[in-house]
Amino acid sequence: MDYNLGKVGDQSAQKKSSYAALKKLISFMDEERKRLVVALIAILINSTLSLLSPILVARAIDQFVQTRQYHGILVYAGILATMYLLALGTSYMQTKLMGGVGQRMLFSLRNAVFHKLQELPVAFFNQNKAGDLISRVNNDTDKLNQFFSQSLMQFVGSIFVMTGAGIFLLFLNLPLGAAALAPALFLWIFTKIISPWVKKKNAANLKSVGNMSAEIQESLQNFKVIIAFNRRDYFRAKFEEANQKNYSSAIGAGLANNVFTPVYGLSSNIGQLVVLAFGIYLISIGHFTIGFLIGFLSYINNFYGPLRQLATLWANFQVAMAGWDRISQILTLHSNLNTVHAGANGAPHSFLEFKDVHFSYPNGKEVLHNNSFSLDRGKTYAFVGPTGGGKTTTAYLMARLYDPTKGHVYFDGKDIRSYDSAERSKKIGFILQEPFLFTGTIRENILYGNEEYLSHSNEEIEKVFADAGLVALLARFESGLDTKVVSGGESISLGQKQLVAFMRAVLRKPDLLILDEATANIDTITEQLLEDIIKKLPATTTRVIIAHRLNTIENADEIFFVNSGQVIRAGSLQNAMNLLMHDKRAS
Amino acid sequence: MAEPKPKGSAIKSQKPNMMKVLSPYRGMIVWLIVLALLGNGINLLLPKLISHGIDSYMQGHFDMQKVILQFSLAALGIFIFTFLQSVVQTYASEKVARDLRTQLSEKISKQSFAYIQKANPSKLLTNLTSDIDSIKLFVSMAIVSIASSLCIIIGASALLLSINWKLGIAVITIIPIIGGTFFIVLKKVRALFMKGREVIDRLNKVINESILGAATIRVLHSEKPESEKFREANAQAKDIGISILKLFSLLIPIITFTASMAGLTILMLGGHFVITGSMTIGEMAAFSSYLMLLIFPILVIGFMSNVIAQASASYSRINEVLQAPELKDPGTITEILRGDIELKNITVTYGEKPALKNISFKVDAGSRTAVIGPTAAGKTQLLYLLTGLIKPNEGEILLDGKNIEMYDKESFHQQTGFVFQDSIIFNLSVRENIAFNEKVTDDLMQKAIDTAEITDFVNSLPEKLETIVSERGSSLSGGQKQRIMLARALAIDPRILLLDDFTARVDNRTEQKILQNLKENYPGLTLISVTQKIASVENYDQIVLIMEGELIAKGRHEELMANCPEYIQIYESQRSTSL
Repeated sequence: MDYNLGKVGDQSAQKKSSYAALKKLISFMDEERKRLVVALIAILINSTLSLLSPILVARAIDQFVQTRQYHGILVYAGILATMYLLALGTSYMQTKLMGGVGQRMLFSLRNAVFHKLQELPVAFFNQNKAGDLISRVNNDTDKLNQFFSQSLMQFVGSIFVMTGAGIFLLFLNLPLGAAALAPALFLWIFTKIISPWVKKKNAANLKSVGNMSAEIQESLQNFKVIIAFNRRDYFRAKFEEANQKNYSSAIGAGLANNVFTPVYGLSSNIGQLVVLAFGIYLISIGHFTIGFLIGFLSYINNFYGPLRQLATLWANFQVAMAGWDRISQILTLHSNLNTVHAGANGAPHSFLEFKDVHFSYPNGKEVLHNNSFSLDRGKTYAFVGPTGGGKTTTAYLMARLYDPTKGHVYFDGKDIRSYDSAERSKKIGFILQEPFLFTGTIRENILYGNEEYLSHSNEEIEKVFADAGLVALLARFESGLDTKVVSGGESISLGQKQLVAFMRAVLRKPDLLILDEATANIDTITEQLLEDIIKKLPATTTRVIIAHRLNTIENADEIFFVNSGQVIRAGSLQNAMNLLMHDKRAS
Repeated sequence: MAEPKPKGSAIKSQKPNMMKVLSPYRGMIVWLIVLALLGNGINLLLPKLISHGIDSYMQGHFDMQKVILQFSLAALGIFIFTFLQSVVQTYASEKVARDLRTQLSEKISKQSFAYIQKANPSKLLTNLTSDIDSIKLFVSMAIVSIASSLCIIIGASALLLSINWKLGIAVITIIPIIGGTFFIVLKKVRALFMKGREVIDRLNKVINESILGAATIRVLHSEKPESEKFREANAQAKDIGISILKLFSLLIPIITFTASMAGLTILMLGGHFVITGSMTIGEMAAFSSYLMLLIFPILVIGFMSNVIAQASASYSRINEVLQAPELKDPGTITEILRGDIELKNITVTYGEKPALKNISFKVDAGSRTAVIGPTAAGKTQLLYLLTGLIKPNEGEILLDGKNIEMYDKESFHQQTGFVFQDSIIFNLSVRENIAFNEKVTDDLMQKAIDTAEITDFVNSLPEKLETIVSERGSSLSGGQKQRIMLARALAIDPRILLLDDFTARVDNRTEQKILQNLKENYPGLTLISVTQKIASVENYDQIVLIMEGELIAKGRHEELMANCPEYIQIYESQRSTSL
């Protein structure tokens, strides 16, 4: 499966309208139905109250001010005051409930995105730039956040007040109301036509923001190369290019977003003018009163005021939708590493078996070609061969980080795809070529993801380390288990990282332990300690070692030679040496 | 994890003035404010036009055409001015953002490696993105909003007072009430915002690590604990969001209520004045309209005060980077290096413990030196010193007898090649990755490619040298990345070559070939190689053994075998290697 978001995006972005995307977004609101109903009732009451008051004011002016009856004014003022108090309560409810809904929606949305990230396979991360992914998950959800936490309540409230005011206008005087609302019809068409363009501009801008942050991420993480090769200008030039691109796209998005406000303002003013001119005409022919004209003008404000707010909010909404599109591109991806039902069709009895396995990357480059071999339980296997020959890919297939493009991998009597990931990772320990440490302490990193020792006290943990023979390794860290790991990890050397990954894997007591050049940067004396530790693992543990140093592989029960997409048994160490020295290179 | 507080007290004591950022754009800002004031000024006229219309109708001399003309002109004026304002506002804010980014990146590009590590790349990323965004928001929204809001508040108040000062005063009292409520609520909100920022930082960190460490997470099946970590931070973010919301859900109704009360006052008091004849109905209508006009700007100023607070917090973070002392480059020597290197009593302290203690040794020009020692002994630090990535806390490094500091950086880096231990491949074509330094000619590049034994590999790529290799080089094997990096270092035709554990990911045969190529193609090269394998360096001119930051022994292989037990132990551990 192709996980390249750049390609996924190109295909789907144009097809989806705001509404379809919105519908999916709203599905995150499912659990909120009850609260939403209450909130909507509050909004309804609140809007009705705020819409009723201009009518009452209009009546008061017509009936009492013009006829100079102050008592009537006081009665109306009393009624109005009560209504305002009631509105105070409902408005509080409305904001609180709607805002809560927004916050919880954002909460489940973020969780969904993160959950999806956890679900997707390694291939997804290899095919996308880390900086762009980070920008999608952080920056784009933040755009949604801004919409939810700042605009959503206003958005809903505005729509209600506006609709209510519109109904009142038509109800009070149909011809005048219709005339007053005519500019809004124009606005509706205008908005409908222009929104896709605005969203496109914003999507382009978010993309350039993503590119820029990917650029910064790459340059800053690799700053030492930039210094050592005297290419500070490279950083500047690359950044300047991204910055300039971002500037152009931001100007485009900014102009697009700002197009609504003046147009909406103009419509609002035209609406007022229509009411004034037409209203006075109606009064002159006796179809309307001055009091109602004043009331009508308030409703016009009640209608176009929120509409003008909607103009600003609509732009926010378009930004949020563009962000949402980029996020939903991730959400629509599915892991192709599903757990399948274990078929009864004659799985081999060996511990690990490759059967007619091919593997190609999405770009079409074939790395492994038609390989079949099997490994027995409790033995040690070494995989050697020139760089780029396919050793790491073979290891990835053994641990099912990838699935073969053709053929099958069987593990412990079953298709490896029939294990769920918990079971599989419990049975297979894999020490990656480039280990990653999380912010925290060495202890946290070693016990990371290891449920067995989760509730152990410090003394118990120390005993576990002593039993596994790991204490000597801890001496390689400044403050032992409590050595701090900060993000960026420049204070921990590559060799130390490899030691952590090693201890991490050994403590999990896997059935199959794969070391992919896992000790390459560790000195040979420490490495001997590692070998002793590996030897002490239970006799049933199968070990797969990928290495260049001969002393790491000479104790292997069997040696495989991997080159040009072929995995072959090398037989003796001497034969492996010959192959290494004389076989045609893959790279 | 808490970021260490900035130490520069001189910077802190004097609060950076954000307005300084704007001074180069004075012209634009003035235009922005003028346009905003024009648009809003005309807006103020509209209720006046309406009330005139109503009154003149009541008095029987209504001129429909004149009213329509005046009103249309005003509406058109507003449209044009707000449109122009939005254009200027977009350009101004984006220009400010772009230029600030450029300034920042230039500053960062001149900094030392140690500074970048200390400032933390992910914090700098925030500076370049979110912090700049909040300043952009300030320029695009706050300036205009505040100028026009103030204009409307003052204008509307003046007009209210001019129509009827008694009723005017009664209505204007809402301004301090609303203002006061805002002040109290926003003060609380701001504290929550700060907290929210921290939580979001933490959230982002979990996301970043889960992306960068994706393979590790898959292998360890720790998706669940990761999700837990995320959920926890996310829940905190939600709680803070809801706390802020609670404050706002109190604020907005209070403001609406206050405004409604002012409306009521207009009805009661205004009605009274109309009845007693001291005010017209048209004027009363105008009062209602102005009240509507008045509320929104007060709200806007309240919200903008928040934008300003966030922007100035962001600016002080940015300013910290901009004001950081720049790397001084006093070096002037540009001579071609012979390659004599001498370390004199070097001590480097990293954190609390010294990483290197009192190290001294000499490397002759054109010779080959190996540095060996256990994991975390300080070997990489030693190479960092020789490239000038870090500086010694004590002692000095001499190149051809002169302090390394005295060399012109450009010329120095041009003559020193460094192959890092961790694979760093840029998201560029293979050619650009190898000819990373600009001065590389095609011949030099070809020689480097041949020496690094990647000719066959490059030819096997779909677009040869022009093939783009990805960020984390996922399509390349560890050894291929390592050799591209070697080619990158050789392409500058260095006088000194520093290798950090280069052979770790390269198989023996290739390693032998590369070393042979090096000898043939780069005669006279001074080589310092950090390595684990003694076999490859037995015939080197010098071997330096470092343990826990201390120099244990130096000399040729035979000398060390004769008198250094630690060396013998390492040798024994690899004996089978030396077939």
